[in-house]
Amino acid sequence: MASRIKLIAIVLILTLVGGGLAAYKHTQLGIPLKVGEEPAEWLVEAKVSFIATEEAVTARLSLPASAIEEKTGVDSRSTGYSFMIEDQLGEYTAVWSADKREGNEALYYRVRFPERGIVSGGPISPSGKPPEPDDPGMARSIRVAAESIVRRTKELSSNPDTLVAGIFRELNNDEPSQETSLLKDHYEELVGDRAKITLAIDLLKMSGVAARLAYGVQLDEIRGAQEPIRLLEYYDGVYWQVRDPEAPTSVLDPRQMFVWNRGGDPLLDLSGGENSQVVFTATRDMVPMDQLTDLRSSGLLVSTIFGLPASERQVFRYVVLIPIGAFVVVLLRNLIGIATLGTFMPVLLAMALLEMELKSGLLMFAIIVGAGLWCRFLLSRLNLLVVPRVAACVVIVTLLMMLLSVVSWHLGMRDGLKITLFPMIILAWTIERMSLTWEEEGKRSAILQVLGSLIVAVVAFTVMEQRQVRYLAFYFPELLLVLLAGILLLGRYTGYRLSELIRFKNFEPVD
Amino acid sequence: MKGWWHRFIRTPGELHALGVVGINMRNARFVLPNNPRRLYGLVDDKTQTKRIAAEREISIPETYGIVSNPAELRRVERLLGDRESFVIKPSRGSGGKGIMVIAEKDGEHYLKPSGARVTIEEIKHHLQNILAGLFSLGGLRDKALIEYRVKAARIMTDISFQGAPDIRVVMLHGYPLMAMLRAATRESDGRSNLHQGALGIGVDIATGRTIHAIHHGKSVELHPDLKVPLLGIQIPDWDHILDIAVTCHEMTGLGYLGVDLMVDEEKGPLMIEVNARPGLAIQMANGVGLLKRLVPVQRRAKEHPHDERRQKISFSRNTFASKSGIQPTSLP
Repeated sequence: MASRIKLIAIVLILTLVGGGLAAYKHTQLGIPLKVGEEPAEWLVEAKVSFIATEEAVTARLSLPASAIEEKTGVDSRSTGYSFMIEDQLGEYTAVWSADKREGNEALYYRVRFPERGIVSGGPISPSGKPPEPDDPGMARSIRVAAESIVRRTKELSSNPDTLVAGIFRELNNDEPSQETSLLKDHYEELVGDRAKITLAIDLLKMSGVAARLAYGVQLDEIRGAQEPIRLLEYYDGVYWQVRDPEAPTSVLDPRQMFVWNRGGDPLLDLSGGENSQVVFTATRDMVPMDQLTDLRSSGLLVSTIFGLPASERQVFRYVVLIPIGAFVVVLLRNLIGIATLGTFMPVLLAMALLEMELKSGLLMFAIIVGAGLWCRFLLSRLNLLVVPRVAACVVIVTLLMMLLSVVSWHLGMRDGLKITLFPMIILAWTIERMSLTWEEEGKRSAILQVLGSLIVAVVAFTVMEQRQVRYLAFYFPELLLVLLAGILLLGRYTGYRLSELIRFKNFEPVD
Repeated sequence: MKGWWHRFIRTPGELHALGVVGINMRNARFVLPNNPRRLYGLVDDKTQTKRIAAEREISIPETYGIVSNPAELRRVERLLGDRESFVIKPSRGSGGKGIMVIAEKDGEHYLKPSGARVTIEEIKHHLQNILAGLFSLGGLRDKALIEYRVKAARIMTDISFQGAPDIRVVMLHGYPLMAMLRAATRESDGRSNLHQGALGIGVDIATGRTIHAIHHGKSVELHPDLKVPLLGIQIPDWDHILDIAVTCHEMTGLGYLGVDLMVDEEKGPLMIEVNARPGLAIQMANGVGLLKRLVPVQRRAKEHPHDERRQKISFSRNTFASKSGIQPTSLP
């Protein structure tokens, strides 16, 4: 009995703390409990990291003009630095400076904008008089080659837009002309991985079109921290236009790419440090900005993960869903009585499905598990020992995944089977568990358990995928304490499982 | 009052009235409070169980040898000598997994009970799999046990399609609650696993006579393959069997446990293994919900905390005696 009182006390405390914090956030900070209908906001964070060399540090980071003009940018977490924004004829730069710093340093700058609001890559009018292309100043040996390419593309184009397309066609050609390969080699020696875009800019300048380098960020949460993407900006006679060198003929999609820096200035200019690097993280926020600012500046317990920089916070987007999956597993195992492979295997499977999309994930699972079993049969004829047999299975499965990816790519399912490392490991591990169960408990329980795991995983996935659930888990993580209380209560459930009602259906009392 | 749903389920209310115990209840009310985690090691590892059983002079199958690392595989031939029959089992296996029975020797070859030939190389391969942990709980490295093969009493083999039946006695605080005989069928392929199609035959605690039998959860009276009656059969040495079971409770310290035994033609009852989480099929085999026996035992244990072994056994025999009037079948 004492343990029951203890349990009830703990459950009460957890519920009160969790529910209380959530209620405080809702009533005092005004964060809505329901996920809003309005579209989410993007948060793009630039992280400048470098090793300070015990000198005065000045870091200058070019900023997106569109964001500054709408006052949506914030510097964050750069203690010990003085910070200001420099305005130079509509081009903005963040300047951090500090006296004598040492060791690893990181500076952050965040920009927020509505999911489909800001157009960062649209045409802009030049400030002042129309820009004139300056001469790229090439060595004579390669100048001849460049001029011949320029002449060739100019003949086939009527305006700057078609010229850009023509130049990239030339550069992206699988069988480049002699001149192109010569130029490419030369530029690669000169500027390394920036070769293609620099070459394109120089060729445009030679053809009389002003061009410069821009930097963009992909609006893609799954990528995590990403390097800035180099874009081309050129003057079409009226406006400056931005193009992605990978798709030079199409206008940039504002839902996929955010142009961070235009105007041709370097992205980062740093003195007093070495090994400098700029990485970007794009995450989607479902709470309006002013409320989030309140949340971030409130006490440690309330703000929890929102005090972290976006790059670190990103991880929690999925991590907070794990307890929900675990709760689903407890429900389905202890109340329904579904047998699964391992206890939390289905949660991991559900996480893998979240990354792979349901349909292709299930297809993948079916194919891989089927193939895994088939290879198990082949290997069992060879009389191998367990560990080498499982290892061999994993190797075959890995190869199979590669094959599957290639095949689906060629069949035109471009988005279908996006396989990342995580689902790969989960699937390989499932095969291992399954073949062990097959050895130990026979095919019936192996198949039952695989099906059970799959059902539990799909249910967990369906719950975890709900926008409302993700919203609550991420913005009200304290509610996980309430979930914990629920799991503790379920831990004391001594009633029948649904499966037992079926199992004992033919129970015949004797006497 | 039978609804359409009875074709598919029994309602929780009905099961409760029958005293049926579910897995959640077994774990939360009987296993967790009475079986401390640290004692599991004793019963999960058969070499340990046999060691403490030998100290208590419980009759167990004689151990011929233990293979605990791959280097010892070389002396397997010497270990086996010219033994004709033996059983190889993983020390930490459960549910009859990884058990290899050798019944005869035919020149260089060994024969399984089914008549299949096994070479010494195949035996070594099996031993190697055991050592690698293929059959052990959680895939841990394991030891292999080579021991005496029980020659089951005639009366027992008569009701089993190959393979020898074993007896399970489930106990709480040392009071026998229920007993069951598990007999193989053609479908279960010599194994005594109920969900693989073996028969579960309930045994009267008072007399050791079989009273009820199930196959796939349904009542049966005849063996599905052998067509012999299953009810009213007297298990030999019943007093001795109960005595061994209660001694197992004393030696392991487990409050809730199942003891598996076999009856040898010459050596009588032999303890095979102890299970800290005995399954729930035994209630179906007996046609009695476990709760109907657990509750009186809990009450008795509270009121008479100093019951001796004999008192415990006689309490169970008196309280749980079967009232059904099945008469012993005369053997043909």
